[in-house]
This record gives sequence, structure tokens and C-alpha cells, in this order.
Amino acid sequence: MASAAAAAFASAKHWPRFTQQLLWVIGCYALTVLPQLGDISLWLTILAGVTVTWRIVAELRQWRLPHKWIRIAVAFAAMLSVFATYRTLNGLEAGTAFLVVMGAIKLLETQNKRDLTIVLFVSYFLLFAGFLYDQDLLLLPYMLLAIWILTATLMRVHQSAHMRSREALGTTAKMFLQAIPLAALLFVFFPRLPGQFWSLPAREQARTGIDDEVSPGDVSELSVSGTLAFRVRFDGAVPPPRERYWRGPVLHDFDGRTWRRAQYPYVERRLLPTGPTYKYRLVMQPSQRVWIFGLDAVTTWPRNARRTFDYQLWANRPIATLMVYDLESASNYVVEGPLPNLLRAAALRLPEGRNPRSLEFARTLRSQVDSDEAFIAAVLNKFRDEEYFYTLEPPRLESNSVDDFLFNTKRGFCEHFASTFTMLARAAGIPARVVAGYQGGEFNPMNGYFNVRQSDAHAWSEVWIEGKGWMRVDPTAAVSPQRIESGIDAAISEDEEVPGRIFVRSTLLSQLRNAWDAANTFWNEQIVKFGQAQQQSLLSLIGIHDADWRALGWGLVATLIGFFASMSLYLALRYRPPRREPLVQAYEQLCKRFARINLPRAEHEGPHDYLTRVAVARPELAKQLSEVRALYVNLRYGPNPLSSDISRFRFLINQLRI
Amino acid sequence: MIRALVQRLRNKTRAWARRRHGIDPDPLTLSGRRIYILPSALGIGYAFMIFAMFIGAMNYGNNLALALAFLLGSLGLTAMHYAHRNLATVRIASALCEPVFAGQLATFRVSIENTSRVARHEITVSTDHGGAKPARIDPTERSVLELTLPALRRGTLVLDQFEISTRYPFGLFRAWAYVNMPMRCIVYPRPSERGIPPPPLETDTGGAQDATRGDEEYAGLRAFHAGDSPRRIAWKAYAREQGLHVKVYAGTAVTSHMFDWSAVKGHGVEARLSQLCRWIEDAFAEGRAFGLRMPGLEIAPNIGPAHRQRCLTALALFEGGDDG
Repeated sequence: MASAAAAAFASAKHWPRFTQQLLWVIGCYALTVLPQLGDISLWLTILAGVTVTWRIVAELRQWRLPHKWIRIAVAFAAMLSVFATYRTLNGLEAGTAFLVVMGAIKLLETQNKRDLTIVLFVSYFLLFAGFLYDQDLLLLPYMLLAIWILTATLMRVHQSAHMRSREALGTTAKMFLQAIPLAALLFVFFPRLPGQFWSLPAREQARTGIDDEVSPGDVSELSVSGTLAFRVRFDGAVPPPRERYWRGPVLHDFDGRTWRRAQYPYVERRLLPTGPTYKYRLVMQPSQRVWIFGLDAVTTWPRNARRTFDYQLWANRPIATLMVYDLESASNYVVEGPLPNLLRAAALRLPEGRNPRSLEFARTLRSQVDSDEAFIAAVLNKFRDEEYFYTLEPPRLESNSVDDFLFNTKRGFCEHFASTFTMLARAAGIPARVVAGYQGGEFNPMNGYFNVRQSDAHAWSEVWIEGKGWMRVDPTAAVSPQRIESGIDAAISEDEEVPGRIFVRSTLLSQLRNAWDAANTFWNEQIVKFGQAQQQSLLSLIGIHDADWRALGWGLVATLIGFFASMSLYLALRYRPPRREPLVQAYEQLCKRFARINLPRAEHEGPHDYLTRVAVARPELAKQLSEVRALYVNLRYGPNPLSSDISRFRFLINQLRI
Repeated sequence: MIRALVQRLRNKTRAWARRRHGIDPDPLTLSGRRIYILPSALGIGYAFMIFAMFIGAMNYGNNLALALAFLLGSLGLTAMHYAHRNLATVRIASALCEPVFAGQLATFRVSIENTSRVARHEITVSTDHGGAKPARIDPTERSVLELTLPALRRGTLVLDQFEISTRYPFGLFRAWAYVNMPMRCIVYPRPSERGIPPPPLETDTGGAQDATRGDEEYAGLRAFHAGDSPRRIAWKAYAREQGLHVKVYAGTAVTSHMFDWSAVKGHGVEARLSQLCRWIEDAFAEGRAFGLRMPGLEIAPNIGPAHRQRCLTALALFEGGDDG
């Protein structure tokens, strides 16, 4: 098999040109399909793969291509199957699959330059679709390489004479280098529209990050992933580590094991900051969910987000691409007014007949202390003083999970502690709820951002204290204060797997990670999220302040004019003929001088006729001119011109007083 | 319908270009100013593709996709400049055009010289009757491209305008220029069917004065030239190591035809010319000497391709001659 392939390659040079071109085009197509492979349904991928393979074999064996009606039937079937798979042809995912399949089927009828070009155009479009999926910095070199090879192939396909791939690649590279400045300026100057102007169905993608329900084990499962959840950069003061709670879904409904979000609309109570407020920019990674994990709790937010009654911040639509939010938060606050009755009821509700031992324990404890605060302190003390452990690998819990945890296993992750604490508080008659989110974040000194990863996922409780409103209580902090102060790595014992621990141990690795992270941030902020704000700040760098549509329009016009002028100039220089020989140059100079006194040389005139005519017009030069003429004719057309004669010729010309 | 419209438009632009540029010198260095450029059908497809990308990118607010659209757009504009430059400053000259018989295809040759230090690609010439295969011309090289035109009638076939064009580099644009460089091709009359026998051979005894013809009397030796018949080589002299010589004979009785215009009567001018043409062709093919007598022109009997060409050209350019 391998030797057959080697033999095939050895004979590649002798293949007909069309075969070579076809294989290049198929290669380009494969290059652009590759990044999409994970996103297209498996069997459509197989369909495309089989079609392409058949086409290659047919080309090498010189089989006849299928009849027109067969091709139409196959294309129709493929279209139906895409429709059957995705239930639509509209939308990014179905559209991409459709392009991939149609590109493969187009190959079945490809037998000329035009067909090859169409397949190449499909490949260009697949590159485009790839960018819609993924805008990672890592992908960029691959995409650039693909577009380069694609374009070089396009050039080769359009040459009737043979052109070596190296020449095509070289010329295309040069053309790209010339096109890039224009593309960059267009990119900078082109007016950006805020938001979509029509919406296509978003791509179905696995949701990542914190869910809107939390069961024991959910958060610890998330915590093994080192994937970035979001980045934050503070503008001015930075909250201390123990206040870095990033608020996500707030969970009211408890069934004895799982906490869920409340679905009812409640009245929002105003939130009054009691401490400093923090301004910051939050860059959400795509999560396909609506939560924006603002610092607990957000007081100012942009228009493309809203705040719910329980102070969650929601994006207007699921976050499918990188999103940037400028927010303001207060980490210490009080909530004004009494707790509405409906909400109080929701925050006290407990499932019937579940976790009886815990209920009993809470009621007993509450009767022993004289205030809600004292109860809370007592529960936290229990966690702190008794043999409770903070671990990523807690044992499985029975159906009465709180009972099991509180009295038997005593080993848990943050959601165990938060869930148990909240349930105890409710049992004691204190309105309480669970908040899921993130806690902490790792500072990258290279770009000033805090990176919050999935491993920073956290859950804590909120209790309602009359007169103060909702108060954050983090039972995990009682068990493992290091978790809150220094992050998960410090809190988890040495023998457990923690993502990113390797980076903490090695400075070099962590610096590398920071550098890569900084590059990614720059890429995300300046390129991927380039918008009106960046446009304005970039333009003010070159002295255009408050650029409006008109200024941008002029910028575009100037860019285009500049490009046309410089391209024309560059190419004119590059295509200029080689320098003439000195004799011809001297003669042409002479002609130019005569042309200035209205004796231009006509196209058809040779040196003899022309100089004779000039001599008639200027008799005083006749004698000199006759020598010039004889010398020139001799030098130009005679055998063995002497270099001394050329000097003499130049001398004579300079002597002429025209 | 549309095709007819396009053709009309094309004819109009051609006429306009002709008025604008006048008759071109031969050779002609193509100035950039007279090169027109338009996107090809493929180029329009490419533009649509970029536009779709652009709309999609704007819709999704996706900057990378937008950058891709801009990059491909800029590449298209760069390609436009390359297409234009690929044609500018080439040197066009007419080259030899061999005579043909009426009814055949006349081949006009156009020599295209690349005066620059960069290779030119995909350059072709074309007329309404088709074009040449696009050629690559390396730096300072020249390439001869062929244009064929059906030669319908005898006389001079003039090709007064053709297009030089290129689709380099990606086939997205077609750059072209109208070249108004008249090129001529002699079209001989179409030889008539065989049938009428040629006039009988005449014996010319006056050949004695002509030292170059005949085979009657030995007249000496002269040096061998390539093409001399081996039968006339003086092998004896060669054996004596005097070098290669040829025996020359003179004072000959030569037999030849005399094709006379007035001898072919009552067929109409073209038919008579065709008949003469047929006789000349046959006589030439069989190596017989012939002469031609036309009103106002007499070509003495002779042999050889130059003679044939002279006679046929006389027929091709023959004017007048009523049916008398």
C-alpha cells in the first residue's frame, strides 16, 4: 500500500496537468474542511469523504464521470440529507454542512477550469465559515496558510502554460503582502454597526460553565477544567481576594438534592453600596449561556444586559462569541426595604420529608441561640471545628444528601457546604439561597487581567438578615480559608489532581502561559472585538478625533486612492524595461532637446533622415550634425563600435548649441 | 438576443477605440492608457462571494470574517493591477503571413515581445473568429501568436484590428486593448476542379542565350550548392579530389506551358482565374515549367516556388478583365 502510494507520487510529475490541478484543488478543499470536521455531523463527513476519494480514484484511473442525472440525483439526496440532519438549511451549522457536501459533489462533475474555480470558491467560503465558528489566535496561522495555498492554486488553475507551484506561491505571497495594507486600512476605517441587523439561528453548541442547577458534584466536576471562563481588568482599585465573588445564577428551589433557579418574577429591591465601588471590564468567553459573571453585586451595566431581581446579570442573548462588558460593582452593599412575602416564602421553602436529621439539627440549634447571626456563626463553627474536609473528590451521597454529608461523609466541595448551609438556615427560619459563580481569579502581570477559569467555579450562600438585607455567607471559607484567599490549588491537598497546578510550580511555564494569555487578550481585544471604541481610539492616535461616518468615508477614499497610486507606481517600476545602452540614451536625449525647439522626431524617421531634416532647419548646426549623424549610424549599425567613439559622440552632442 | 446586444456594444466600442487611437505603428509598444479592464464572469462571481462574506461578517459582528472579506477584496484589486500591468508595455509587431487559397484559413502571425524583466503570463490575441492559446512570455523573450481568419475571396485579406488580452493572474479580470495594426494576407484564387486540360507544352528554342537553363550542352563546372541535383555532380572531378562540383548545361530546348488569360474564355473572371490557378498548381506539382500571360502582364516561363508565388499573386491581385 505504502509502496503503491510512493510509486503514485513518483509518477505525479507525469500526470496530465488537469489531474495535477484537480488534486491540488481537492487538497485545498480538504484543508478548509479540516477545521470544521468536529462540527459537521459524522455521516455527512463520511459522505463527503467517500465522494472525494471516488473522484480521486476516477481521475487516476481515467474512469468516466457519472451521468448528469446521477449527479443531480446525488446532489438532491445530499441536500435532503443535510435538511434531515439539521431540520433547516438556514443557519450557520446547516449552511456549512451544505457547503461541505456540495463542494464534494461539485467535484463529481469537475472537468474544466471553471468547475475547479467553483470548488476553490466553495473552499474560500468554508474558510469564512471557519472564522464564524472559531476566532482563536491559534487558528490564525492555519487559516492564513490555507488562504495562501488556495490562492496559489487558483492562480495555477488559470494558467494555460505550465507554472511551477513555487512560482505561483511566490507571486501570490507577494500579492498578499501588497494587499494586506489595504485590507488592514479598510478594516480600520470601515464603519462598524452596533449589533446584528438580522439574526440567523445561532449554532447549537455545548454549553459550558456553570449551569442553572447545582447538585452535589456539579461544581467539583467543573473544577477539573482549566478552561478560561472570563477575564476581568479593573479600572483603578482592585477588590481584595476575599471579595472576588463573581455572581452567577441564584438558586432558590431545592428538592432535597438539587438547587434550581426560581422561575417567578419577583420585585427587585434597591441595592445600596456601603463600601467602595469597582469599575472594570469583563470579557466573557463564549458559553452559550446568558450569565455575565459580574463582581457581586453589579450596580451599573450596559444596555445589552439586564439585572434580575436577585442581582444576576443576564446578557440579552446567549453568549456565543466573545463579549465585552464594562461594569461597575459594589462588593459590600445593603438591600433596602423588607423582604417581599413571596420571595420570603421561596427562600424558606424546603421539600417535604427530605433530610429529616438535618432539619431536626437546625431547629434544635436555633432554639439554643438567640439570634439568626448567632445561628449562622454556630453552623460555620461546626464546619470549622469538626472534621469537615474540602476536597475535589467527595464520596457519593445517598438520596438524603444533606443528612449524609452533614453526619456521615463530612467531605465535600463548595456546593456541598453551600447547599447544606442554606438548607440548615432555611430550616432555622432564615431566608436563604444558593449562589453559583466563580471565586478568585489569577492575575496576569503581562496584561493586567484577572483570568477566571472553570477551576475557579464556586457556590456560596446568601441569607436575609432583617435590616441588612441579603448577606453573603461562604461556608467554604470556614472549612478552607485558603480556597478564598489563594485559590483552589492552595486549598486542595497535594495528592489530588488540580488543573494548572503545574503552572504554579514552574515559573517558566507560568510565564509562558502568561505571555500566551497576554497575546490572546491583545488579539481578542484589538482584533476580534475591534469595534467603534477601538476604532475611535486608534483614529485619535493619528489625529482624527471623534471620527464620524463622513471622516471614515474620507479615510476609505484616501486609502483606496493611496493603494491605487502605490500599486500602479510599484508595478510600473517592476515592469519597466531594462536600461537602454548608453549610445541610445545619448541619442534619445538629443532628440528630446530638438523636440523642445519644435523639431520632434517622427515615429517613422531613422537617425539619418531625422538629423538631415534638422540640419536643413538649423543650417548653422549642419556641419556638426553631419558628424554626429555619421558617428551615430556607424556606432549603432556598423561593426565593432569603439568605446572611444561613444565618448566622442557624447562630447559632440554636448558641444551642440541648440 | 442578449448575445446580439453584446456584439453590437462590442462593435461600437471597437469603432470608438479605433477613432480614439487611430492606426497603430508597426511595431507598437502598448501604452497603459489604452488598456481596458473589466471583471470577467468569474470576477463577478468572486465579487458576489466577497459581498456575501462581508454581509455575513457584519451581521455576526465577526471581525476575522470581515478581515477575510477585506483581504480577498484587496487581493482582487491587486489582481486587477497585475492584469493591467501584465499587458502594458508589451511590444507588438506583425509577422509573416503566408498566402493561402480562397476558402482556406489565413493565418496572421503577431509577434509579442516582453521588454521587461518580469515574465508575462496568459497573453493572447483574438478576433471575432477566435483567438490563440494564451502564452507565457519570459523576460525579454518574444512569442509569436497566430490568428486565423477565413479567406473567403481572392485578393488581399486585411486584418485591421485585433484584441490583445490577458486574464492573468486569477482569471478574475480581463484586460484588453484594441490594436489597429493592419496586416495583409494574399489570397490566391481557389483552384478549380481538374477537368480542362492545360494548354500543350511548347518548346522554347531560344534558351541558348540563357546560361542558367537547359540541359542540352555541357557548359562547364561550378561549385556545388546545397540543393543541387546529385545527378549533376561531377563525380569524376570529386574523385580527383578537386572538390565537389556540378556540371552546368546550357543552350537548351526547354519545354514549358504558357497559361494565357485569353485562352480560357467565357467562364467569368473568377472562374478563369481559378482555372489558371489549377493549371499553375498542377504544373508546379509536377515540376513542369510554365509562364503566365495576363492582360497587361506577362511572366516568362520558369520553375520554382518563387515563380509560382509570383504567378499566383498576379492572379490574386488581378483587377479588371471583362468577360471578353
